Amino acid sequence: MRRLLTRVGQALLTFAIAVTLAFLLMRLTPGSPLPALDEQNRFTPAQEERLRKLYRLDQPIQVQYWEFLQAAFDGNLGPSIRYTGQTVTGLIAARLPATLLLGFTVLLLNFTFGTWLGVWQAVREGSRLDHGLSLLSISLYAIPSFWLGLTLAWLFGLEWRLLPVGGIHDVVMSPDADLGTRTVDLLRHLILPAVTLSAVSIAATMRHQRSAMIEALRLDCIRTARSKGLSERQVIFHHAWRNALGPMVTLFGLWLPILVTGTVFVESVFNWPGLGLLAAEAIGNRDYPLIMGTTLLSAALVVLGGLIADLLHGMLDPRVQAL
Amino acid sequence: MTDATTQPRSVWTTRAGRSGIVLLGLIALAAVTLPSILPDYRAMAFGHLLPPSGAHLFGTDYHGRDLLSRVARGAQISLMISLGAVLVAATIGTAVGLLAGYLGGWVDSVLMRTVDAALAIPRLFVLLLVLAALDRIPLPVLIVMLGATGWFGTSRLVRAEVLRLRHEGFVSAAGGGGAAVWGIIFRHLIPTAAGPLSGAPTRGGADVLLLEAGLSYLGLGVQPPTPSWGGMILDGLPFRSEAPWFCLFPGLAIVITVLAVSLIGDGLRQTLTPDRA
Amino acid sequence: MEALNPITLVTPLRIHMPRSLLPALLAGLSVCGSALAAQQPARIPGTIIIATGSEVATPVPTLYSNDALSRELGDQLFLRLAEPDRTLRTSDEKSFEPRLARSWHHTDPLTLVFELDPRAHWHDGVPVTARDVVFTINRARLPATGEQIARLLRHITSVEADGDHRVIFHFDLDYPEQLYDATYHQPPLPAHLAETIPQADLAKSAFVAHPIGNGPYRWVRRIPEQRAIELAADPAFFLGRPGIGRVIFQASPDIEARANLLLAGDVDAIDNVYQLGNPARMLALEGYQSVPFVSLSVGYILFNTRDPADTSHPHPILQDAEVRRALTEALDRDALAHTGYGPSSVAPPGPISQGLWVFDRKLARFGYDTAAARRRLLAAGWSDHDGDGTLDKDGRPLHLSIILVSSALPRRRIAEQAQEMLRRIGVDLQLLTLERGEYMDRQKAGRYDLEFPSSNQDPTPSGVTQSWSCGGTNSARFCDPVFDSLTQAAIVSRKSAAAWRKALQRIDDDAPAIWTYAPTFVGLVHRRFENVTFRTQSSWLDLWRWRIKSGAELPRDRGDH
Repeated sequence: MRRLLTRVGQALLTFAIAVTLAFLLMRLTPGSPLPALDEQNRFTPAQEERLRKLYRLDQPIQVQYWEFLQAAFDGNLGPSIRYTGQTVTGLIAARLPATLLLGFTVLLLNFTFGTWLGVWQAVREGSRLDHGLSLLSISLYAIPSFWLGLTLAWLFGLEWRLLPVGGIHDVVMSPDADLGTRTVDLLRHLILPAVTLSAVSIAATMRHQRSAMIEALRLDCIRTARSKGLSERQVIFHHAWRNALGPMVTLFGLWLPILVTGTVFVESVFNWPGLGLLAAEAIGNRDYPLIMGTTLLSAALVVLGGLIADLLHGMLDPRVQAL
Repeated sequence: MTDATTQPRSVWTTRAGRSGIVLLGLIALAAVTLPSILPDYRAMAFGHLLPPSGAHLFGTDYHGRDLLSRVARGAQISLMISLGAVLVAATIGTAVGLLAGYLGGWVDSVLMRTVDAALAIPRLFVLLLVLAALDRIPLPVLIVMLGATGWFGTSRLVRAEVLRLRHEGFVSAAGGGGAAVWGIIFRHLIPTAAGPLSGAPTRGGADVLLLEAGLSYLGLGVQPPTPSWGGMILDGLPFRSEAPWFCLFPGLAIVITVLAVSLIGDGLRQTLTPDRA
Repeated sequence: MEALNPITLVTPLRIHMPRSLLPALLAGLSVCGSALAAQQPARIPGTIIIATGSEVATPVPTLYSNDALSRELGDQLFLRLAEPDRTLRTSDEKSFEPRLARSWHHTDPLTLVFELDPRAHWHDGVPVTARDVVFTINRARLPATGEQIARLLRHITSVEADGDHRVIFHFDLDYPEQLYDATYHQPPLPAHLAETIPQADLAKSAFVAHPIGNGPYRWVRRIPEQRAIELAADPAFFLGRPGIGRVIFQASPDIEARANLLLAGDVDAIDNVYQLGNPARMLALEGYQSVPFVSLSVGYILFNTRDPADTSHPHPILQDAEVRRALTEALDRDALAHTGYGPSSVAPPGPISQGLWVFDRKLARFGYDTAAARRRLLAAGWSDHDGDGTLDKDGRPLHLSIILVSSALPRRRIAEQAQEMLRRIGVDLQLLTLERGEYMDRQKAGRYDLEFPSSNQDPTPSGVTQSWSCGGTNSARFCDPVFDSLTQAAIVSRKSAAAWRKALQRIDDDAPAIWTYAPTFVGLVHRRFENVTFRTQSSWLDLWRWRIKSGAELPRDRGDH
């Protein structure tokens, strides 16, 4: 319990430092949100001054930081500067479902196939198939995700006309189409971005699972199990895999941030309305409140992911608790 | 230091390491020799989007430039970027990790919380914010930026390694006076920790190549006319159906280089993991 | 070359309909329209999906100051009193088409009277009245709306309503563009809905979240998770029943993703194929018709004549007009324009787009002539003394850098080509691709040698003064009192063509910029649509006149909505 509290305290501290670092980084690098509002450069100095006042950009940085903290504690991240009239929380909320959907699908694919292939490789360690799979997974990792995404979109969307090339829904679908139609439509749009992201990220999962499993297979208890005459299947899944789960859980925690940040290029290529792209655009426009909003969220996910991984790891591996 | 000197040979003995080194060697060789015998990579002197032929092995690009010249010139740039960034990241990461692990106490806490926090801010966001701030994006700056945002993981590993060594009594005996600290670090810690850590930077090198490609996709990588592979893919993408060679060759160059670097990393890992034959 | 001038290619129709005929015709049309609407309420079949690069921000007059897309969508919702016709002769009151106003006349040179069309109504059913016009002009001139609009309306001294359907504009100057100024800048807002909302709160109001207009299309919804906006035709639109029932503006910021939408047939129309990476491929797409139209866009490479390191000093290289002229001559600007915007685009003779009626390529003084460029540079003291391939003078090499926005693909390609053209005459030009925010920061601070802006002009030559008069908004702070007095003379002149020519020659001679491209846009529209036309001042202005060929409907045209 004490350990839990310390760990949570650490996580909160990390989060606070991250938010401060992000704020400083954002405000100490040059650029201003105003130009994005003024594509033809026609603002007069007086207009600029007024906007600067409106968005409190005329205040010293510590005042801005303090105001940001106060508002953030009330759950108010302020209005977006680029998207006049929309709040940061509103913008994030609008993008969150798409982000979570894509992120969790990728995690699911990544872990289902990644662990399965990793175990499979470990069992056949050193075989030609093992080497072949390693090479394949590294090659996939080596492909820039935007390139892979566009290639898949070209093949599946344009050449074979099997799947939509982008978006999250058929835009002409009626808002009151029945649930079945909507779900099928959504899944069809989800396939290409999810496969692209899983493909480029599966190598790490496979590699981790493979080495964890190899290590587990060498444990004494496995040798004992084997010598007791249990079937190979039982040995692998009931005994070895259970022992190899610990490291995988850690990896799962580390993957959580993929939800927000791992997806910028894939979102861009598939016009997927997620948070990664919103954040990248916010940076391009120097939309300060929106940058802070998205960074806050991704930092929270990273810290939370680490925390969950740690705690789960502790539960699975009692030795950790002693540390 | 004996560890370090024996490493290249042992990497060479692994199949992955050997293939990686051969691949990377070939790319480096091409990068060094080809530009001097091929047409100027800037010359817009040839036909527009010519397919690969004897005169232009990789075809030509949108502006009628020889693609092989550009891929070869791009190899110099890409290798320089990833090598440089890895060195920067490894140096900072090792230094911070050593300090934290060795000094412990509040220094350790402050450094590690900061590293955790820095890891919580997406690297791409940091790069996007900071790159815009630069007056130009000259190569050294891009390299330093990529390196300076990539050392957090290494520093954690180094710290963990130092703690392990400490725990095993390797270092504590030498501990004591402040002046001796650096001596201990250089004579004992670095050589011992070097082995297990060499995997992280190689993976970092591969990441950097991909990140540079991504930045180029957003139009913020290496500036024209200097070719970078990522930038060339970006330029070629719109023509992927009628001139597939335009983005295919730079794309393959990235894939092969990242593959080579990853294979070397794998080889290193194999030689250093005791339970792996 | 002159025979190929795209203006004549694209707008062959310069016939002036007798003024009385047009309203009568339109009135006839709309009687049918409203009669039909009365019988079978509110459903017109057909869907068009339009791909855009960015999301529509605030499509409401007085708020869309500089965002072209918001203005274009706003033009579907909000009508002007009158609309410039295809000639865009903004100084000729006969060249306007009636919209909310069915006629206009002068009672004296400083007074312009509009008679509103009594059939015009807001989408909530309330009639459009003179009160709406008065409210909007007064609102537009408040400081909270922005000085830019106030400046555009500066010659209007007051506006008054005379009954429900007559509006009287008073001016302080007798000049040909009174009608243009009174009608173009601010389409009326519904006073009954907007009056109670202070201008400062308007952007955040429910009215802007769900605007009520009076145009051919009404607002249905914003679909944030799709980055789309849906509009529906107003079957009772008083100028005629729109031919397409539903309009969706679908944003897709990534150009490759946008190209894929077209290639897959998921979108029906795009207004400029040259914003995509491979226009040739798009133009060859089966299933789509290409529709060229002259644009109000103009791009130029602007010289900074102040030192980027210290703007109180002149630029060490570019202060010399001879160097600027030489750099202009060193570039094959037509080739650059073709690289960026296709074969119908040209290098303009000044800061004017093809859409402006004063556009005339014969005005240009400096053509493509590398020998002349070399001579000029040599005479100005620049030659390759040290033999390194780059010209130098007093030990200083001819290094220049140009800042560019990372997202603008045509400009990047043009800049790459210009870089190579300049390299061949010994000028070292460095490209600097920046995010837009950073680009504009530098532009404002004057931290650049050359910059490459693209501007969307208002459909009148007098718009040129916004950027190029003393105190105007071009970042190089170009200021030439002679040019200013020439433009001022042109604005008040009744024979303005000659006056404009003089003014434009004056600015071209100084070479404050390399006038690089004046594009002809090419719209791409699915073949099932007919009667397809784009309008220079606002691409989709005629959308309500488009029709779907019978029998050519797609499933999405029949879908309920």
